[in-house]
Amino acid sequence: MDSPRPAPASDFLVNKKRVRVLGLSFDDAVKIFFGGNAFVSVLVLALITYFLFQEGFGFFGQNHRNLLTYRQAGLEYVDYIRTQESAHTALTRYLSDLRLRQFSHATLEKKLTPAAANESLVAFDNFAALYGDSVEPLRGLVSELTEQATAIKTKFLVAEDKAVERQQLTAEGKIAEAAAVQIETVDFAVEVKALTGTLPAYKELAAEFIKKLDAALLTAPAMPTAELTTRLERFRQLSSDFTATFPATTRSLETWDYTRAVPWYQAFSAFLFGREWLTASFWQDWYGIVPLFMGSLMVSLVALLLAVPMGVGAAIYVNQIASAAEQRFIKPCIEFISAIPSVVLGFFGIAVLGQLLRWLSQQDALAWVPGFPFSERLNILTAGCLLALIAVPTIFTLAEDALQNVPKAFKEASFALGATRLQTIIKIVVPASLSGIISAVLLGLGRVIGETMVVLLCAGNRIAIPDFTAGLAVVTQPVHTMTGIIAQEMGEVVRGSIHYRALFVVGLGLFFLSLAINFLAQKIVNKYRISIG
Amino acid sequence: MDIKTPFTASSSGRSSPVSAAPVGAILIDIDHVDFYYGASQALHDINLKIEEKKVTAFIGPSGCGKSTLLRCLNRMNDLIDGTRVAKGQIKIRGIDIYDPSVDVIELRKRVGMVFQKSNPFPKSIYENITYGLRLQGRSNKSDLDAVVEKSLRGAALWDEVKDRLHTSGLGLSGGQQQRLCIARAIAVEPEVILMDEPCSALDPIATVKVEELIQELRTKFTIVIVTHNMQQAARCSDKTAFFYMGKLIEFADTRAIFMNPANAQTEAYVSGRFG
Repeated sequence: MDSPRPAPASDFLVNKKRVRVLGLSFDDAVKIFFGGNAFVSVLVLALITYFLFQEGFGFFGQNHRNLLTYRQAGLEYVDYIRTQESAHTALTRYLSDLRLRQFSHATLEKKLTPAAANESLVAFDNFAALYGDSVEPLRGLVSELTEQATAIKTKFLVAEDKAVERQQLTAEGKIAEAAAVQIETVDFAVEVKALTGTLPAYKELAAEFIKKLDAALLTAPAMPTAELTTRLERFRQLSSDFTATFPATTRSLETWDYTRAVPWYQAFSAFLFGREWLTASFWQDWYGIVPLFMGSLMVSLVALLLAVPMGVGAAIYVNQIASAAEQRFIKPCIEFISAIPSVVLGFFGIAVLGQLLRWLSQQDALAWVPGFPFSERLNILTAGCLLALIAVPTIFTLAEDALQNVPKAFKEASFALGATRLQTIIKIVVPASLSGIISAVLLGLGRVIGETMVVLLCAGNRIAIPDFTAGLAVVTQPVHTMTGIIAQEMGEVVRGSIHYRALFVVGLGLFFLSLAINFLAQKIVNKYRISIG
Repeated sequence: MDIKTPFTASSSGRSSPVSAAPVGAILIDIDHVDFYYGASQALHDINLKIEEKKVTAFIGPSGCGKSTLLRCLNRMNDLIDGTRVAKGQIKIRGIDIYDPSVDVIELRKRVGMVFQKSNPFPKSIYENITYGLRLQGRSNKSDLDAVVEKSLRGAALWDEVKDRLHTSGLGLSGGQQQRLCIARAIAVEPEVILMDEPCSALDPIATVKVEELIQELRTKFTIVIVTHNMQQAARCSDKTAFFYMGKLIEFADTRAIFMNPANAQTEAYVSGRFG
């Protein structure tokens, strides 16, 4: 090809003469490789987020239907009465506790033999039996109603399943077979009448119940000590509080209406503030995140309480006080902890730490520690101790970095003014690195909240809100956690079911929690950089 | 470079310090000191007497040991691993400061220091100045207030910062920060103030202010200043010591060092032929 103007001959080497494959130079290939990697990570993050949201948000619609069925099938109605029954059960537990106290008083203080002690408690036992048995008619009613309501719900669910089956058949083009599917429509108005029809019977029964309780209370024998008398008085108070709730319950039963709509926000609030996580129940499934969240929170708090002094203290020691030889030894040791697989730590927790803590708690010399002795080997404390071990390397490494970043000039100035090493650390070095240390702690928290294996193995996996009335002893209770529940239940649930989606929403919650913690840590670190200048 | 110009310029500004000052009492007696960083010897047989209420300047090319010697005077070198005074003694008011019975914390309260790069703490101006006093357990508010004002006035900074004592010391300009550091040092009322190239990071105007400040401080404190800037040594100091390769080459009245050096190396350095 002849160009009209021939290019001027030049020995000025600016032309690109590199080797090209598919039109790409080596530089281009490298650029594409790295760019591709970055792109893939962004894409994966986007996909994960999308997937979480897509699977998670379906939950709220399903939960709304779940709550609607609960009302329409009359389960809600029955639960009003059931609440009374369980409140009464709680009262009888109080009585058993009172008996236990009297018994130990009789054997320990009065030095009676167990048989003699039991003998002395006959009057109390009669009273307790009278009080406990008074619930029987109510209990009978509840179990009768439970059966009816369950029947209604089952009928409704079967009808729904059939409808789905017909839809599928129609979609597949099997019209004849679809028409053959029998769908029994559930007329809630009729079904629920059977439940509400028992209201007069209930009213009569409740009045009788109150009378029996009051009569039983009159037979309560006198207590041997002032302390126990106070407890009995407390019981009387609780009992009268209990009977005072009856009119309200009756009102709820009278005004109950199965047609009342369930507001849409309840699908959210029942999840966010629900105090029960109850699945695969014959009665009603509840998906409330509170017990799981509280479990995660408590375990993380215990972990942080242990890990912050340990991690920050070790960082201060290594960075400010230790000799070079000590540094060379301690730093790799602490960093090595993070190399232990968490399942191994969990295993250690079950086999060693849980046993050890329980054994310690049962030593008489340690009986003064709140919560000691305890019998649950796996609890908040055990899991918290192990999680602390997981958080320590994170907190240590980041806090040490923060301390390292404190300009040496600050330390020199402090020493030159006649400060001791300790004064310099406390008054200059730690305050100057405080934001770095705080963000180290936050990242440690993020690490702990997301940790799964250890809590699944060591937290005890009892789905209940910890009983904070126990004070500090709350840490000896078993809990379940947000991460643990996902790991435990995700394998067993039916894809697309409400339970499956509920687990996704828990996952979403974790996702946002970690996001918030990391964001906060970043913010604090940035502020810190500016302030140092 | 003509070395006479700065010197004559400064001496025309005020009476010559050398002729005006009587022979002072010896405050610091550096007696045949050898100093090592690990295996390498940084100071060779230094023998020097620093007079009370005078400004003594250490000059010399980089790495000559002048900063090392300065940091020996309040034992700041203790903070560096492997350093030691192998031979000789440093006595302040007759007391060997490297004696095991000496409390280094007490020593540093008596011998204050201002560093090359201004290093106010990331705290308020007020807290910066009261830091040393609080370390000594003084916490009386009106007492501290008085010291803050006195120190800031002493460092010629009071008028500039009196309305923002509780804002961060890091918000000040470079020169102000350095004067804050001087104020912080004089707040604990030391006898000696060591200055390690206090103006090397400052602009000319800030430098002038700090130099003027040094002239005021010399009436109350004994000042030892390390400087790279020969004009500064000529302008500010009464006595000058010239170091080279870890050895004290010449120590004399400043005027003598600059006008009439006895040693050929000194002459070469102060006239700018090397360094």
